[in-house]
Amino acid sequence: MASLGSFLLMATLVVSAYAIAASVAGARRGSRSLVESGVGAFYLSAALMTAASAVIIHAFVTDNYSLKYVQHYSDLAQPLFYKITSYWGGLDGSIMFWVFLLALFGSLAVYVNRDRHRELIPYVVAIISAVQVFFLFMMIVHKNPFETFLVQAPADGRGLNPLLQNIYMVVHPPSLYIGFVGMTIPYAFGMAALITGHLDDSWLRAVRRWTMVSWLFLSLGLTLGMIWAYEELGWGGYWGWDPVENAGLLPWFTATAFLHSVIVQERRGMLKVWNVSLVIITFFLTIFGTFMTRSGIVQSVHAFGEDRTLTWMFTVFMAAILLFSFAWVIRRLPLLKPRYDLDSWFSREAAFVANNWILLIAAMLVLFGTMFPTMSEALTGNRLTVGPPFFNRWMAPIGLILLLLTGVAPLLAWRRSSLASLREQFVWPAVFTAVVTVALVGLGVRVWTSGICFALCAFVAATITQEFVRGARVRQEATGTDRLTAGIGLVMRERRRYGGYIVHLGIVLMFLGFAGEGFKTDQQLLLKVGEEATVRHVTVRNNGVKVTEDAQKQMVTGHIAVSENGESRGTMYPARWFYRKHEDQPTTEVAIRRTVAEDLYLVMPAYDVNDQSMSLQVVITPLVNWIWAGFGVLVLGTGIALLPERAFALALGRVPAEASTT
Amino acid sequence: MKQKSVKIGITSLVLVLALGGLLYSTLSEGTEFYKHVDEVMVNPEAWHGKNLQLHGFVVKDSILRKRDSLEYRFKVQSKGAVIDATYTGIVPDTFKDESEVVLKGRLDASGFHVAPNGVMAKCPSKYDAKKGLTGPGA
Repeated sequence: MASLGSFLLMATLVVSAYAIAASVAGARRGSRSLVESGVGAFYLSAALMTAASAVIIHAFVTDNYSLKYVQHYSDLAQPLFYKITSYWGGLDGSIMFWVFLLALFGSLAVYVNRDRHRELIPYVVAIISAVQVFFLFMMIVHKNPFETFLVQAPADGRGLNPLLQNIYMVVHPPSLYIGFVGMTIPYAFGMAALITGHLDDSWLRAVRRWTMVSWLFLSLGLTLGMIWAYEELGWGGYWGWDPVENAGLLPWFTATAFLHSVIVQERRGMLKVWNVSLVIITFFLTIFGTFMTRSGIVQSVHAFGEDRTLTWMFTVFMAAILLFSFAWVIRRLPLLKPRYDLDSWFSREAAFVANNWILLIAAMLVLFGTMFPTMSEALTGNRLTVGPPFFNRWMAPIGLILLLLTGVAPLLAWRRSSLASLREQFVWPAVFTAVVTVALVGLGVRVWTSGICFALCAFVAATITQEFVRGARVRQEATGTDRLTAGIGLVMRERRRYGGYIVHLGIVLMFLGFAGEGFKTDQQLLLKVGEEATVRHVTVRNNGVKVTEDAQKQMVTGHIAVSENGESRGTMYPARWFYRKHEDQPTTEVAIRRTVAEDLYLVMPAYDVNDQSMSLQVVITPLVNWIWAGFGVLVLGTGIALLPERAFALALGRVPAEASTT
Repeated sequence: MKQKSVKIGITSLVLVLALGGLLYSTLSEGTEFYKHVDEVMVNPEAWHGKNLQLHGFVVKDSILRKRDSLEYRFKVQSKGAVIDATYTGIVPDTFKDESEVVLKGRLDASGFHVAPNGVMAKCPSKYDAKKGLTGPGA
């Protein structure tokens, strides 16, 4: 089996290399058949990767521990589900999974666009294949998941880390990968447009949807990572500015910037160089992020585990990407002249430019902070690190400015906003914001970043509502239906615009949740059995520590009676689980009581089974569920923006007026 | 056209300078030196009062916990150099004898004082290059 797997990887490498050669040669000589064969080879690479994936999944399912990778990440006791998902549980497999996804997405993108963008296709194939070749090469010479034990294979595996045996970790990595890999497609189309010189807006239309889908998955991946950290790691937070998290956030910033600036290019023919650059940078950051998390150059504790070969391979590849891409941008500069110049700073395009700058600055700051330890060590020999305080300090104001722009931009007109229109647009949101601000001060909100955040959330929510109400009113007058029908019709008519507003609404809700962080309480208690303690309005009482077992693990569970303001809220069960073979690494099972207003979050880090005492961490996190709810709204909005034209025509079931009978 | 590029140039310059200045000021207070125990012990006085992230290994059988409290005393070592450390709070699961740790805190004559939530222990995990750190903030 192992040799079949290795063979498949090598075959994919050869086929991908052929795809590059054939499609480029075909495009240059104008040979239709050569291009066709390149495209065929490209589809074949996807098929081969699917087969290779089937082989490795088969090895996992049949407990084939002669494969080092399988032995490392699985064991006999592991449930089938986790056996399958162990495919991407480790480094080698995750790279292979990456190539598999890329080949699949690439084939789909090429298939969908094969007629509409015929002139771009050969180069799209070549670029995606080149990325595949890089990763395949790396796997074959350095990180082959099909590597076998030279001597006797062990009878059982070591098992997947228990921390990873939960549903979020099953869904989180693939959705991040989909987001990362998906960004290769816009890059490939962008580069193809540069190389062929077909730099009208048609390549943008081909990639807009891809970027949006990839962006959605990236957001999903990041959010799932947050939920995982919150529910599994047991420190009461969801974002620690860990390099791995940052790696996912970087392309998210630039992709968000691109999704906005692309609108400016469509409407006004501006920002052309900017848009190609964003596509390139986003792709670069996905590769850079992979590099950062896989090579161990960043995490301090991993410094010993640094993988020099991997570092070199990635460095060469990344340098090549930048040189190649920006050389073409510079070469095509004359074709990338804007159609118009910026007329006024009080225009929507200006607000979009500002939003783009700030997103880019955010990305640069996060990159800077993440790489700072590595850079300082290289420059001064002293490894200096920056922690969450640095990031929070910078990102809080940046987030607030972005939130403000989210509210302001839709109120500005394209080209130039007149004073009268500014007044008309801003009156209601401003009044509403003022009212909320007064209320906040009246309520005694002390944490002023959170206070500003609440006020801005109110502002943005007001502008979005205003947009919907005004739009619906106009449509109601035009069509003569009721307000609700008009509202739905409005959203369906301009799906990208109103879907976008709904996404903004989701972001507002998420910011509400982030602002809740300012009011967090975190206390560590020591409780003897029967003892009570009160944290703010919550009283906890230690009713004992119990030990139970099941097939996979031993569980030590704390029984905590909880009451709020004297009213009983039942019992909560924070626990420690000791998985077999991982006894030295118990997992923390957090007990969470969720409400709309706040979460009560209990962790039992230490206990004594003999005298039933425990240490208990009590965390009260206000508004945290709004983050998850906001993400749901964001998904809904993106979904609406993504709805294809045809689905919309069907959904509305529009019938010609004369055909209707009364 | 010329005028425009001058404008853009000046704007960018001002922005870069402002950003650089702000970065410098936040960095100077927020950074921590990442050092191994042996590096620090060459000249411990030089590190007194500085924000440190101290890398080392917990000395076997050195972890003491005051009864009915969350006060810990332990020793960390690397390459033969040893420092006494104190900490109050909850330690991560992976903090135990001989585990590899990174401690955030400050050094003085009496030893290393770990800041709240400043203990990060490396899990001896299979999950190598991804989430190697567990504990608060990781």
